[in-house]
Amino acid sequence: MRVNVTRFGTRGLSSWRRVIQEKNHSVNAFVCTSQLPSQPSGSDDLLLHNYAVAVKDMICTADMSTTSSSAMLKDFTSPFDATVVTLLREAGADIIGKVNCDEFGMGSLNTHSVHGPVINPFQLSSSSTSWVQREKRSAGGSSGGSAAAVVTGMCYAALSTDTGGSTRLPASYCGIVGLKPSYGLLSRWGVISFADSLDCVGVMATTVASTRHVFDILNVHDTRDPTSVTPHARAAALEEARRVWPTSALKDLRIGIPHEYFPSELSDEVLSPVRAAIENLKSRGATIVPVSLPSTPYALSAYYVISSAEASSNMARYDGVQYGLHVPLPPGSNLTNSASMYARTRSVGFGSEVQKRILLGTYALTADAFDNYFLQAQRIRRLVREDFNRVFRVPDVLSASNAVATPVDGVDVLLHPSAIRTAPLLEDDDAAASTDGLDTYVQDVLTVPASLAGLPALSVPLPNKNGQAWPVGISVVGQWGCDDMVLKVGQFLEDSDVS
Amino acid sequence: MLSLSCQPTNSLARQFRRAFHDKRWPGWQVIIGIETHAQIKSRQKLFSESLTSSLGEPPNIHVSPFDAAFPGTLPRLNQDCVDLALRTAIALNSQIQTRSSFDRKHYFYSDLPSGYQITQHYAPISLSGHLRIPDRESPIRIMQIQLEQDTAKSTFDPRTRTSKIDLNRAGIGLLEIVTEPDLRSPEEAGAYVRALQAVLRAIGASDGNMEAGSLRCDVNVSINPIGKPPGTRCEIKNLNSIKFMQTAIVYEVHRQRDLLSKEGGVVPQETRGFNQDTLETFKMRSKEEAPDYRYMPDPNLGVLVISPDRVQDITQKMPELPWVTRARLVRECKLSEQDADILLNLDAGRDGRSAVAYFDDLCKQSRKPTVVFNWMVHELLGRLHTARLTFADNPLSTSQLGELIDLVQSGALTGTSGKLLLREMLARPSSQTPTERALALALLATNQEQDIDQVCAAAIAALPSEAEAYRRGHKNVLNKILGWVMKETRGRADSKQAREQLLSLLERDVEP
Repeated sequence: MRVNVTRFGTRGLSSWRRVIQEKNHSVNAFVCTSQLPSQPSGSDDLLLHNYAVAVKDMICTADMSTTSSSAMLKDFTSPFDATVVTLLREAGADIIGKVNCDEFGMGSLNTHSVHGPVINPFQLSSSSTSWVQREKRSAGGSSGGSAAAVVTGMCYAALSTDTGGSTRLPASYCGIVGLKPSYGLLSRWGVISFADSLDCVGVMATTVASTRHVFDILNVHDTRDPTSVTPHARAAALEEARRVWPTSALKDLRIGIPHEYFPSELSDEVLSPVRAAIENLKSRGATIVPVSLPSTPYALSAYYVISSAEASSNMARYDGVQYGLHVPLPPGSNLTNSASMYARTRSVGFGSEVQKRILLGTYALTADAFDNYFLQAQRIRRLVREDFNRVFRVPDVLSASNAVATPVDGVDVLLHPSAIRTAPLLEDDDAAASTDGLDTYVQDVLTVPASLAGLPALSVPLPNKNGQAWPVGISVVGQWGCDDMVLKVGQFLEDSDVS
Repeated sequence: MLSLSCQPTNSLARQFRRAFHDKRWPGWQVIIGIETHAQIKSRQKLFSESLTSSLGEPPNIHVSPFDAAFPGTLPRLNQDCVDLALRTAIALNSQIQTRSSFDRKHYFYSDLPSGYQITQHYAPISLSGHLRIPDRESPIRIMQIQLEQDTAKSTFDPRTRTSKIDLNRAGIGLLEIVTEPDLRSPEEAGAYVRALQAVLRAIGASDGNMEAGSLRCDVNVSINPIGKPPGTRCEIKNLNSIKFMQTAIVYEVHRQRDLLSKEGGVVPQETRGFNQDTLETFKMRSKEEAPDYRYMPDPNLGVLVISPDRVQDITQKMPELPWVTRARLVRECKLSEQDADILLNLDAGRDGRSAVAYFDDLCKQSRKPTVVFNWMVHELLGRLHTARLTFADNPLSTSQLGELIDLVQSGALTGTSGKLLLREMLARPSSQTPTERALALALLATNQEQDIDQVCAAAIAALPSEAEAYRRGHKNVLNKILGWVMKETRGRADSKQAREQLLSLLERDVEP
């Protein structure tokens, strides 16, 4: 049985909660649900009236705890709502609950969580066992709870975050749409930081249309986020996109296929449907152009240095003093050394993956390593950005210098697989081992370049007739600020399902 | 000219001339550099909307989720702090950087909720500048000025063995102002800090009050035999008065000289503290133990771009700088240089305006500046000091003190009564005008000669033996008779006039 989503909009708010009650025990997406509003909030004409939206547990809500799936914040409730949550509430949405994720967003399988792993709700149509007894696969991470909640119909849409693929990977594994918008479009005020320069709020829904519906509500400038891009720059990017692709027609669309994004690790079950989707767009008039992004092989290491360095810095505040977990030292300990107090709380409060990245990041920032790691990674990050500017027809409106001239024969978007494989088995010893090894990191190879460059990236599920195969996602990546264009291309991909 | 005098003053001749004058350590040269942290006098903190606080407020009342490093909070740069930093840079002739940025300095301590301090390590807002100090030809070069966050305040109670944390101070803006190693004596170091305080106060960038903690100094000290290369420096942290800073430097010079005077002796590079009870410096940590702060560019704050227009705008609106004020006070107000410095070094008043502004206000209504100075400094400030108060506690408005001065100058009030009235006004501050209070206290001078004549006659009549003694040549007795008059008139009588009248009465009595 493929878990499909029922029609939204007409159902009452209580029905979302009924699905949670029926299915969450076997999915572990929700870690906390809100009270059913006694009366519908706001008027009927609000954009999200009667829609339930789930929020990743890294995004602050004043009425529910925000744990980041960490023992460190297990009982933490923020004194304020994140800006994105406020915007949803103002649009009439029912913030139905908080959903599971990897601890502080660090992980690709949603297994590093104090709430336990998220189980992928998908089941092959050929399977003969009951849905509850289905094969236990990962929902992807870090926003596994968001993806699983959406695909089971526990909510209309879910907020996720994406630092290096945390929205696109679970979207791909679960078979839904996941948008990582351009960096700086959606406010990060109230979003618990993993790596500030990469973190984006993501939107997940079953269709491109509903993803856009929620994205449009959140896409506003926020003075409380210093990295929130000005309305002027937003408008400039839209203008450039319109100038380059005025018809919004598939026949005028130039699609780049970056060969670096088809590594040898790519599994056949991914490659074939991705190829078919590209062929489909080509047959409908799109121009397909092979392109090269030569800095891609270095992107992953640069990503891990930068994200870990920023994470080690951001995690420093969890010391058990102001809020969150505090583990007292055993009786008789030396109390004169405050370091032992911090070490005790942090050793107990942080999981292994977070500890590993803190150590890696701390090392990268030490005086001896800084030049070779952090600065080098920043240079690679610039090169990655320039790679993209070299292939896109739309200029980069944020770059003042325009180090790279915009090519006339460039492309509008890039297409590539969202992940190198379908959802891995949770019980799998190999997968368990790879959770802690380098293999998990290789999975991120397809998603981190867009994060490093701050570009919009959308994962769209590929046609999967009657749930005969595990879901596969294809990613659409555009120039900074071209989120609208990326969503339009996503719509074309979605339409190929019916064509 | 300027650029020439900005050159490092390391010519041998100059070194000899300066160093040999110091009889405390003949043959040794002392090299000092100072790092000051001045709290920015802005309404709100550097990166949050919380109000800044002053000393003595209850703890933890000016705290936002950002100040307490709550997850999900982000910094927002307070442009008022930037403007005050730019004013400081302009006042210190420093080069404002078109592009500067913020970095995180990491360490774990209970007074640092986020585990890092946001500072400007890699690209400060301003570089290279200078400040002139009295009695020295070459100016003190400023290496850089940077914006950063203040930490929270943690206090340890040894009795209960607990630490208390007050987040009021956490995140207040600081200006870190770093000199080149240009200072050559404890006295020069003191003069530099005083000059810096005067600048910061004049431009409203900081209260610069060391006792209250709004200005803190770290001092680098090294010594070397004259003519030899500079020695290894030691940094003395957190000196909170100019006196302690000078004492610490003197102690440090002697300590280093003792070390170097031993056979093969060296000064290990270290960070030291200062014990205010023993007046000695003590080792805090060696160079090897120095923490690695793991500086990282702050990923939220981006580049701080300062436009030439903004700099120009601030330059045009710059308040008068201390050396300009000083010259004006001496030239136009005819104050002595010493008196001008007294005014310049006073704390700001209750309303936050400087003592010089208070003085200027008083002088505005064509009062004689030297008279104003006398009343303001000798009388008003003298009274405040007797009560262990400072100018910051002054309850009198300029119109109140001005009217008092006018009453005395016009003769409506005797000098004695004026001082009495001032004392009264300080003891029981009110919104009443000095005239109203003088009337209520019956202090207004009685200048009707009739009255004085009568009182003087009465005095002589009341003190016959004293009058007799005077007539026999004991001239000093006159003061006793005069005292009787003053007592009788409760000080209202003009003492000069009364003396003359007494003399004439006593002389007249002698003649027949």
